[in-house]
Amino acid sequence: MSAQRIMWLYILTGLAILVLMMLLGITMRMEQAGWLSYDATAFYSLLTLHGVGMLTAVALAGLGTLWYLVSRETVLDARIAYLAYAFFIAGVLCVIASVLGHFGALWTMLYPLPFVEASWPGWATGTYLIGNLLVMIGFTLWCVQILAALLQRYGISGMLGVEYIFRGRTFEAAGRRPPPPQMFAALIVSIDGFLASIAGMAIVIALIVRWADASVELDPLWAKNLTYFFGHSFANLTMYMAVAGVYVGLPLCTKREYHTSRPLVIAWWGTLTFVIFAYFHHLYMDFVQPQGVQFVGEIASYLAAIPVVVVTVYGGVLLVHRSGMRWSMGAMFLYAGMIGWVVGGTGAVLDATIPFNFDLHNTLWVPAHFHTYLLEGVVAFTLGWAFVNLEQRSGAVSPSLIRWVTGTCIFGGGALFLLSFYLAGSSGVPRRVAIEPPPGPAIAAVASIGAIVVLIGLLICLAEGVRLARLPRKETA
Amino acid sequence: MAEGAIVFVIFVSVAAAAVTLMLLLANAGARKPLPQSTVTARGYAVRRWWFATVLVVAVAAFAATIPRLPYPRADELRSSPHFTVVAQQYSFVLPATVPVNTAIVFDVTSRDVNHGFGIYDPAGHVVGQVQAMPDYVNHLPMRFERPGHYTVRCLEFCGVAHAAMQGAFEVR
Repeated sequence: MSAQRIMWLYILTGLAILVLMMLLGITMRMEQAGWLSYDATAFYSLLTLHGVGMLTAVALAGLGTLWYLVSRETVLDARIAYLAYAFFIAGVLCVIASVLGHFGALWTMLYPLPFVEASWPGWATGTYLIGNLLVMIGFTLWCVQILAALLQRYGISGMLGVEYIFRGRTFEAAGRRPPPPQMFAALIVSIDGFLASIAGMAIVIALIVRWADASVELDPLWAKNLTYFFGHSFANLTMYMAVAGVYVGLPLCTKREYHTSRPLVIAWWGTLTFVIFAYFHHLYMDFVQPQGVQFVGEIASYLAAIPVVVVTVYGGVLLVHRSGMRWSMGAMFLYAGMIGWVVGGTGAVLDATIPFNFDLHNTLWVPAHFHTYLLEGVVAFTLGWAFVNLEQRSGAVSPSLIRWVTGTCIFGGGALFLLSFYLAGSSGVPRRVAIEPPPGPAIAAVASIGAIVVLIGLLICLAEGVRLARLPRKETA
Repeated sequence: MAEGAIVFVIFVSVAAAAVTLMLLLANAGARKPLPQSTVTARGYAVRRWWFATVLVVAVAAFAATIPRLPYPRADELRSSPHFTVVAQQYSFVLPATVPVNTAIVFDVTSRDVNHGFGIYDPAGHVVGQVQAMPDYVNHLPMRFERPGHYTVRCLEFCGVAHAAMQGAFEVR
């Protein structure tokens, strides 16, 4: 029960922050459409909060899911989960405080902008940096705890599936089984997450030192590399956190098994490697980077897609195909999340193609693909996992009308919202601007409508979740 | 057709195909369930081909990008005329004109924070960009085949007046 409580604490906090950040996002799109008017300082402060808040929200939900699933296979200390949670919340509160002080260097806080821009006070910069550090400490704590638990339970070669792959017959003849798929998701999130956090803390601590002592100088290119290594990896890993819910939830919906196979283990090895190196695509337009590194960025970005479309999503589709699955809310969101992952991934791979990036870099194409990935992928998986749990607990499913309405709002409204981003990006409209050049404002108006429809769908969905949660627990034989 | 429009068409086509295929696979024969072992056996047989196809497309796409990389070659840096671009909050120091149908190199840097040097052609399409970084000079090779008025926009967030940071030059 304690593990479930922790899972719900993380998921519900994540969803609450998500709704608030969506509201901020909608006001910003409406401002770009010319429907609302606030000054640029406020716009960039809100954009900063929106970026950090949204990533923290989806990460919290995914980390809660993974923590619970790992706790079913290993021994985890709940106090560390609560401590990590406290760091996350303290970090978010610091970021909110910095935004009240008009800090607006965005989540990227590219050196030396936080110290050059004169529109916010020094304390706001320091509070923002400390807030980021607290979130990173919380994430590191989580990663170390999960890694230690997996090591204790399976050993190094066992948790990586090495014996299963290279000495398969002996391994199976001895009656041994590899870890279940969700353990590989936990492993990769904790290893890559730990590495990314080290990079993130290195740059944030360097920036804090620079904040305390103005005579300290950093190398802008190194600062950019460390910032994107953390930022890209953290954002990317939120998907691998949430996908654990698919490995466990979809079999419950289909009454089939999603077991660990050799392709799945090898796919996760690939993901472990490619996620680390994909971030170089953020620096394609920094021509002073060594050209070999740019190639690594493109290759890693392409190869990161292969485990997704050949193993995880492919396996998920096979699980559903001709299973006779009943389309509950949980099943709908889990399956739709896989579609969102593929669609967002397509936009990402196109953007990671260097000649295309030459035109698309820092246009609205970038938020187009990651909003698809996060909203229609990670958030859909989170909702799917939450609903599967509620359905299993109560033995009830939602009326089909509710499913149709929420599905139409979240995916139909989402399509309108996201296609607007893609269209504007391909038309060269820059991202991160309070006032967009044409055709940006007209497209932002359409996007605003789409985003409002999504929010309505999400609120209906959350109300339905509360209704299911209040039903009595299903009697078990 | 502008390159951005081509990418948009590719994206919409692939995304529509993926959505359609995944919805069809979820709903086809839904009322006639099959044992998981049957579906898995068929699926695994197809997966080898699917893996091979995805890998071939990835390798081909990577190979196709190599001749179209925007990075400067040593001979371009040596033989082309260079034009200095300096970015600073919230303006660009730019050449007034650059020659048409000539290989040139922009030497781009920044006096303060990170900026983006994004070039928009007279029709408003992005035709190239590079980051303008403090302490570094990025060399951007370009060749303009169309004369006219080119707009420059900052494509890296650089502060509160970022949206207004623009410049322009003529290609003659």
